[in-house]
Amino acid sequence: MIGLRNSVTGRIVLTILSLLVLLFLALPIVLIVVTSFGSDALGSFPPESWTLGWYQQVFADDSKWPAALSLSAMVAAMTTVFSVALGMTAAIALVRSELPLRSAVYGLVLAPLVIPQVVIALGMFLLFEPASMLGSPIAIALGHTVLASPIAVMIIMATLKGIDERLEDAAASMGAGRLTIARRITFPMAAPGVVAAAVFSFITSFDEFFISQFLSSVDTTTLPVQVFNVLQYDVDPSVTAVAALLIAVAILALAVVGVVRRLGSDKQSGLLPVETGISAGGETR
Amino acid sequence: MAAPVLAPAEPAVATAPGSGPGGLRRRLSGRRTRFGLLNATPIVVYLLVLFVYPIFSTLLLSVEGEDGGFTLHWYADALQGTNLDILLATLRISAETSLLSLVIGFLLAYWITRLRPLWAGLVMLVVVVPHFISALVRTYGWIILLGDHGLVNEALVGLNVPGAPFALLYNEIGVVIGTTSVMLPYTVLLLYAVMRGVDRGLTAAAASMGAGRLVTFRRVYLPLVAPGLVNASVLCFILCLGYYVTPALMGGPKQTMVAALIDEQVMKDNQWNGASALGVILLLLTFAGLLLLQLFKKVGMARRNRGAA
Repeated sequence: MIGLRNSVTGRIVLTILSLLVLLFLALPIVLIVVTSFGSDALGSFPPESWTLGWYQQVFADDSKWPAALSLSAMVAAMTTVFSVALGMTAAIALVRSELPLRSAVYGLVLAPLVIPQVVIALGMFLLFEPASMLGSPIAIALGHTVLASPIAVMIIMATLKGIDERLEDAAASMGAGRLTIARRITFPMAAPGVVAAAVFSFITSFDEFFISQFLSSVDTTTLPVQVFNVLQYDVDPSVTAVAALLIAVAILALAVVGVVRRLGSDKQSGLLPVETGISAGGETR
Repeated sequence: MAAPVLAPAEPAVATAPGSGPGGLRRRLSGRRTRFGLLNATPIVVYLLVLFVYPIFSTLLLSVEGEDGGFTLHWYADALQGTNLDILLATLRISAETSLLSLVIGFLLAYWITRLRPLWAGLVMLVVVVPHFISALVRTYGWIILLGDHGLVNEALVGLNVPGAPFALLYNEIGVVIGTTSVMLPYTVLLLYAVMRGVDRGLTAAAASMGAGRLVTFRRVYLPLVAPGLVNASVLCFILCLGYYVTPALMGGPKQTMVAALIDEQVMKDNQWNGASALGVILLLLTFAGLLLLQLFKKVGMARRNRGAA
């Protein structure tokens, strides 16, 4: 059809180039996972011999990683709670009600995703520094919620839009109260979306660097901040194992969302369109 | 990281006010409005306090002199000497990155639209999974790959490429490679969404009427996907502007970006006013980009309307 499609050479060239681009995307990730099991954690590829030593080092007694890991997990858990609570109410307001100034509210909700994160982080710093809340896990979680809640809102909105409102009307016509409808109809149908929102909120917070960097203090650093510091200032080969763990957490999170969606048999497959807001184009899988 | 796309406009809302059939809807409308307000309040209040107000205070701080009066000298500082160089480097690196992402992303997205659904799904997985893996981790992967004895240089030496090993780290090449790899999934997703919407009948029609491949591409396909290209490149540019991790870890002194400068001014120099001015400049650049997108959208729509009439 156009250009390259009709000519065989063109097609082969396009395929080879595209495979190279895929390699470009996947290689750094694969490399980290493989290297983390190599005895020479910073060097040769493929490794000459294999070891689990770096992982043992990460969890060794004198290691500074477990503290960072548990802080990150705690912050991410708090962020998830805040973000899902805000996301659920906001999505209900945006999809299931008549809201004055709706587009203004929607714009406000999406704004944190396009505003440079450094600006958000700086503002947070100016807010929490005078309150001497730097290094407080709650402050970091409150900050992360600004980034996580828009994503939660978008995911839950997409789910609510997929639920036929007539089902709720039907229940109402048969005498179900508002709470019963929410509990028996809306919530079970929206559950996969809520789980997805929770998982993405968690991972957003768990991987977030900039706000944590501005809001952490010397003795409270989140995992990404710790990784960054190690990469920038002192070389600690166990960082490769930590990076591999971060990869595992992200893939696990995506798998959970995938499984839940499948179980909920949510036909407008969520991941892609929802996350990037291109739902207008239809679904992908 | 996963920023939403402002363009394709939010499709018509589920509940178009007033369009509901019959009186039941209308009678509920007062209650529905109250219900909406009640539910919208938490996030609005939250974002006003923790998002809008902090940015507003940044704005105030950026025009506040040491004596508390009004001044613009923080902006003057930000726009001269080394600071100006850093600002220009930020614009340059962002432009290079979004251009490279656009070219590579176009290639990949186009290829995916030509694949069979099963393969397309698998390839999309390779694109999407990295998108959800921490940029910090991916940057670290590139640091290992691009070192003097990294896999890339070893391969180039092995292939007897003249000049190898190259210096690929702590310079602009490294930064652009790293940042592009972080931005690419996003660009591909945006482009793919647009390309999939292209009606294949149109290109086939052009070909059947004797248009060559190049002509079909240039006159039919490209205009159809052009809005998507503009959208993807401007959004990528905006996201790069405030980006920190990859340039800080993979760049040299000449690749310092504004975000790193802000970080340094706050953390090391305790210079909040200067940092605020820089932040506001970034904010203005972002708004300029978003405005540009709106403008393009309007022009495109006007043109389409004229074409239809």
